[in-house]
Amino acid sequence: MSIIRPTRRDMLRYLGTSALALPLVSSYRPAFADHGEPHKRIIFFYTPNGTVPHNFWPEGGETDFELSPILTPLEAHREDLLILGNVDMESAFSGPGDAHQKGTGQCLTATELLEGNFAGDAGESAGWAGGISIDQKIAQAVGQDTLFPSLELGVLVGKSDVSGRINYRGAGEPIPPENDPAAAYTRIFGDPEASSNEIEDQRVRRQRLLEQVSMDYQRLADRMEDQDREKLEIHISSLADIQGRLQRNGVEFGGECQMIDIPEIDPTRVDLLPEIGQLQMDIMVMAMACDLTRVGTLMWTHSVADYVYGFLGEDLREGHHSLAHKGDEDTPKVEQNTRVNIWFAEQFAYLIDRLKSIPEGDGTLFDNCVLVWVNEQAKGNNHDRRAMPYVTAGSAGGFFNTGRYVVQGSTATHNQLFVSLQNAMGIPDDQFGNPAYSDGELPGLT
Amino acid sequence: MKTTAARSVAWGAVASLLVAASSCGGEDPDEGISIGDPGPSPLRRLTRLEYNNAVFQIFGDTSQPALAFAPEETALGFNNQASALVVSPLLAEQFLTAAENLAVKHSPTILATLASCANATSLDGGCTTQSQAWIRSFGKEVFRRPMADDEVTEWFAVFSDGTALDGGFDALSGVELVVAGMLQSPHFLYRVEFGRNEPNAEGIDELSPHEMATRLSFLFWNSPPDRILIDAADADELRTPEQLEQQARRLLRAPRAREAVRNFHRQWLELEKVTEVLAGIGKDTEMFPDYDPDILPLLQQETEGFFEFAVFDADATLDTLFTAPFTIVNQPLAEFYGFDAPGATEEQFVRVELDPARYSGFLTQAGLLALYAKPNRTSPVHRGKFVRERLLCQIPPPPPDVVPEAPDVDISQTTRQQLEQHKTDPLCSSCHQMLDPLGLGFEHFDAMGRWRDDENGLPIDASGEFIATTDIDGAFNGVVEFGAAMGGSQQVRDCVTTQWFRFAHGRGETDADDESLALVREAFARSEFRIQELLVALTQTHAFRYRRVPGQWEEEQ
Repeated sequence: MSIIRPTRRDMLRYLGTSALALPLVSSYRPAFADHGEPHKRIIFFYTPNGTVPHNFWPEGGETDFELSPILTPLEAHREDLLILGNVDMESAFSGPGDAHQKGTGQCLTATELLEGNFAGDAGESAGWAGGISIDQKIAQAVGQDTLFPSLELGVLVGKSDVSGRINYRGAGEPIPPENDPAAAYTRIFGDPEASSNEIEDQRVRRQRLLEQVSMDYQRLADRMEDQDREKLEIHISSLADIQGRLQRNGVEFGGECQMIDIPEIDPTRVDLLPEIGQLQMDIMVMAMACDLTRVGTLMWTHSVADYVYGFLGEDLREGHHSLAHKGDEDTPKVEQNTRVNIWFAEQFAYLIDRLKSIPEGDGTLFDNCVLVWVNEQAKGNNHDRRAMPYVTAGSAGGFFNTGRYVVQGSTATHNQLFVSLQNAMGIPDDQFGNPAYSDGELPGLT
Repeated sequence: MKTTAARSVAWGAVASLLVAASSCGGEDPDEGISIGDPGPSPLRRLTRLEYNNAVFQIFGDTSQPALAFAPEETALGFNNQASALVVSPLLAEQFLTAAENLAVKHSPTILATLASCANATSLDGGCTTQSQAWIRSFGKEVFRRPMADDEVTEWFAVFSDGTALDGGFDALSGVELVVAGMLQSPHFLYRVEFGRNEPNAEGIDELSPHEMATRLSFLFWNSPPDRILIDAADADELRTPEQLEQQARRLLRAPRAREAVRNFHRQWLELEKVTEVLAGIGKDTEMFPDYDPDILPLLQQETEGFFEFAVFDADATLDTLFTAPFTIVNQPLAEFYGFDAPGATEEQFVRVELDPARYSGFLTQAGLLALYAKPNRTSPVHRGKFVRERLLCQIPPPPPDVVPEAPDVDISQTTRQQLEQHKTDPLCSSCHQMLDPLGLGFEHFDAMGRWRDDENGLPIDASGEFIATTDIDGAFNGVVEFGAAMGGSQQVRDCVTTQWFRFAHGRGETDADDESLALVREAFARSEFRIQELLVALTQTHAFRYRRVPGQWEEEQ
């Protein structure tokens, strides 16, 4: 079954320019105050440059597996994991782009990139991704009741092209992550210094402002053709997002939803990467606890990122991408690259810990979550995109049967994984991305 | 100084090369304007730099608010490419926040000039007249063109609503709302062009005078037009090639042009990586005990400063950039290199003469050489790739989807010896023959980018070879020979021209641009390849002067 949903932009076309014409949406309620089923949440967790497969995959069978060095930090959460063996990023072997570009642009879109002139190893070889990303498809379905349909937070995402973006509202519509924790916090939770009068005043002004501005954009778009028009309409839909949010009440702190202290921190400093990452995870967790969003992405650096993770030991002198390219026989460098990936697993474990620390209903926030660890390659030194190092954590409210190492017996694709994820989030669609690679759910996960 | 006659000859020469020879510039009233195809002119969004320059121009604001924006999406190596720049909800919100902050900051000063409103207790006749006049003049500055009457009416309504937001009358609030709104308008954030609305039969139109003023100032200053340009636009004096040339030369003389030229070179050669990427990678401090990350921004400044000096102070020709036996250093840089630089201080950069047997223009400056190196050894592959892609405008073929695993490093061999496998393994050699022989010419410069006599005691062979170029194929020995060949190469000249074209127009070149590009190359050659003349020539093309009219221009079948 396939459901065609109008996109936000379609809606906008039907509605004309002013989202203000919509009736006021009922005021937001925190998830834990809601009756009936608790809301499900999903967080994508991206790390770059592949993994070290022989230090990643567990030993043993479906339930009696032993965690590998890289996944050892997740031992405490073993019963919440699904380690997904033998899932390929098959679509990422076709279409424009070099290996990293295809892997990144298709990481969450699972369809071929557009033609374009982003220079990769392959030269003028690729444009933006060619379709909507899975997080955004889910956000379209489950994100309409929260202040933010989705949140995209980054940690030193230093590339502004197809190798630095995984979230897409549609073909050619990348969503950049916010790299600065302080700016992210203010955007999501509001200015901690502002009074409620000031906030109300700002809301009224913004409504009037955006009414005028959106009208300007629409009139201009009507005079334009093709790409220029498309570009302005993307801008208009971005304004509509803000306008839509103005219709709702802002965050109401209380219960588990609490302000957090975010220190000013230089979001570009590699040596502060652990601190920046932790702040971004804290913000993401609190945004979920406050039910400000139900769909999140945490993007750790970018494809081909070559930052030196000196905080993991003084002997680490080469950047992550360089380490990832070392030969399998280069034992010291393989060990260092393993250490980098262990560290990423520790971050993933921290995120789980934080979500488990927030009570919700009879259990914790984590019970209603699924976290998905993705990468743009399987292995750095040969750019393999088969047998991707996918791990999920959390059952999404009992949907997934966790605590298992599930190895697919026959060819399986990340399109199928995303079909499973959208089903877990309540979207009854059996396709995602390019249908050529999409054949129902990934078997054996529920 | 060039004359009209000289240009006419050039136009004729270009036209004779082309089948579609029309009497360029000759406007026969029976046939309408005969003008060439300008190629596409996509809608361009301001970059962060341009935004900051614009708010400086409008308010004198130096806070650079756009630094907090999501960085530009880069394409073709530049951050001003129309096709890549899109607006996400995050960026739209950053525009909103910046506009509100600027409005709060600068509206009191504006209101102080509107006495009839500042002292009013209601939106009376005096305040109405004065605020409308202000909206007209402020809007012209922000939108970089005169406002239409109905626009003034609309923004006055915004002003009026703003004054009444809290129930009473607050003129400041009205000013704030207009300022914050205009700074988010597409007419500010984008460079909107509609032309003169006098298209010829092919659906090609001239730019309106204010659109032309905007093109000129953004090209040479990365900034909105100044008063002189606006006055010239008001008087419709930005139309003929002569008028454009005159303005181009004036703009190039101003200090702001220096920053734009630095911006171009920073992006073309990716000089920011020297600071940003190298800082994250660093150097092996056992091998380079004096390595200090603080030198990295200075290395970037050295190369940027060199280009600025060469283009403006030396009125350099292209080959000078590749061969000049001098550089520009301050005291810490002089120490870093071990150069004697009398007069240099921490702040003061000075020109130092270098040994022409070793040094060759920007090619031997340490920043790029250190960037395209490992922490502990050089990387001829990356140096070669840089030359091939950025300086020769050639794209190496893509590596296979699954590349073989990299060999281990043996430090008892020279770097050249370690790269031998690239020659013997056919899977490697198809690509690496394009890269390694170029990069190996730089082997006398170590991983820190400084001259070395030997490599860990082993003798250095800095011979290399150009292959697959259009005009300089052959062997060379060392970077001085390399630089001389590059500086005189037509392929390099064409590459530089192409890069400037992309930077100037915010898009890649298309087949329709052949005539425009040929015209620039012609003028560049006539000037014996002086960079400033290349820049002036960019304003003389079809691509710069005209635009296709949406709905009227149709591609020929």
